[in-house]
Amino acid sequence: MVRVMVVDDHPMWREGVARDLTEAGYEVVATVGEGGQAIRAAGAVRPDVVVLDLRLPDMSGAQVAAGMAAAASPPRVLVLSASAEQEDVLEAVKAGASGYLVKSASREEFLEAVRRTADGDAVFTPGLAGLVLGEYRRLAAQPAPVEGPRLTDRETEVLRLVAKGLSYRQIAERLVLSHRTVQNHVQNTLGKLQLHNRVELVRYAIERGLDAD
Amino acid sequence: MGIEGPFWRAIAVFRVASLVYAAVLMAQHRGYEEPVLGWLVIGVMALWTAGATFAYAAASLRRWPLLGIDLLVALACLLTTPYVEGVSQGAEGVMPVPATWVAGPVLAWAVYGGRRAGAVAAAVVSAGDLWLRARAGDDPVLINGAVLLFLTGVVVGHVARLAKQAEERMQRAAEMEAAQRERERLARDIHDSVLQVLAMVRRRGRELGGEAAELGRLAGAQEAALRQLILGTPPPRQAASSAKGAADLRPLLLRYGSPEVTVSTPATPLVLPLEVVQGASAAVGAALDNVRAHCGPEARAWVLAESGEATVTVSIRDDGPGIPDGRLDEALADGRMGVARSIRGRVAELGGEVSIVSIPGQGTEIEITLPT
Repeated sequence: MVRVMVVDDHPMWREGVARDLTEAGYEVVATVGEGGQAIRAAGAVRPDVVVLDLRLPDMSGAQVAAGMAAAASPPRVLVLSASAEQEDVLEAVKAGASGYLVKSASREEFLEAVRRTADGDAVFTPGLAGLVLGEYRRLAAQPAPVEGPRLTDRETEVLRLVAKGLSYRQIAERLVLSHRTVQNHVQNTLGKLQLHNRVELVRYAIERGLDAD
Repeated sequence: MGIEGPFWRAIAVFRVASLVYAAVLMAQHRGYEEPVLGWLVIGVMALWTAGATFAYAAASLRRWPLLGIDLLVALACLLTTPYVEGVSQGAEGVMPVPATWVAGPVLAWAVYGGRRAGAVAAAVVSAGDLWLRARAGDDPVLINGAVLLFLTGVVVGHVARLAKQAEERMQRAAEMEAAQRERERLARDIHDSVLQVLAMVRRRGRELGGEAAELGRLAGAQEAALRQLILGTPPPRQAASSAKGAADLRPLLLRYGSPEVTVSTPATPLVLPLEVVQGASAAVGAALDNVRAHCGPEARAWVLAESGEATVTVSIRDDGPGIPDGRLDEALADGRMGVARSIRGRVAELGGEVSIVSIPGQGTEIEITLPT
């Protein structure tokens, strides 16, 4: 049974989500309303999937996602957030979250996203694809000391179609690829960005001498 | 008290110090033939120093009449010099009776009115000074004093103006920060209460179906609108960091977001000239109207804004039936794509390009490319 933890600061929403998950056959191992508490609980109950709201009273969603990613056996984090919090979504995804769904998504879309997150797939909404695309463009335009990550032409093509709202099946049809290949391309764009983010953090730490102690 | 207070206090200190200096010169009375008259003038200066110190300390009295009187008193004291010096007037190294005291009003004018006023006061006092020197038959007439006065008036006036501007800016920044904090507090409250309930109503409504689903849909639309509102998505305005007449395209596009319309943008601003931003936003609005007109109000649409090399591209895609190959021209001709054609005209005016792609079963896509 897939173990899920729900992190959201609003009890009504939290319980609603937990009920949907339980009804769909998931084991909800914890429901928490604060980021710090969520990171500690994740270490203790070891969920497979964390459903994370970005707006928490004590820390940003990106900090929580980073805290989860630092655990010994990190859970997969699915960000569930309002559509208007796009910048925060990008930060959380760069920090290690592997999927993003708007809170306005239907119950079926939500359960499908949890299932795919549990399977280890990236869950991309058009909004997230737009953000990731923009982030790669920003990195490419930057006079970086070290070559930043680049998208291949095919990855760019796939990401743009995701951002325009096409389903993976439609993209596969249009580009004459297999569904799995489309999925892999999407996954790669996210993986490269997260890797770059970790490298940047380490370099920043070394530059600032934070590794001295 | 604002930034001006210290300026006025400094001027008061300067007046007292200059008064003492003038008195010391008078006490040594080298070259002053009429010490009694001289001490009388020093007495007037002392009275005015005291009067001016109190008058300038009161913000309500700091007006042009006071500044005018100040300048006239200084000028009058300066012009008594020939009578005090008597027959030995104009001897080498003898200062006019008020000495450096005459710079007081110049400083006051500069602080009150900026560098132009400072220059005017300096010109008046210098004119008196130079007239005295010319009258005493100095040859050549030394203009050191005049130059220094002029410089004082201009520099102090400039600095005082800068300081006042800096203070005003800080004041404005503090006000904006307070407003922002208040807005964030409201946003937190609304997020914690109303938005959660609206989201819940939408979610449960959709599950229950029927009329409840319609209520849920309405709640969802209000939730999205309220969220945009508390996030402070501003009306079209200039991007703070960019050049004049440029703005970020994203806020205008994000306003089109709704349960049916998904808007995707980068996390960084898409800065374009103001008229291009407005034109592009209107074109996107027209395209979305077109989608609703031809595919129904429930039709979904996606807007993607992305930056390229010296371009910004906005695509609008719907999930309608699409247009079969070869039918596009026909569709253009029979008016089905009339709005698309008008978009084309509008975008061309902005120096951009429009391409329309339609794949059967995958909807129709309008792509607008604009130069940055």
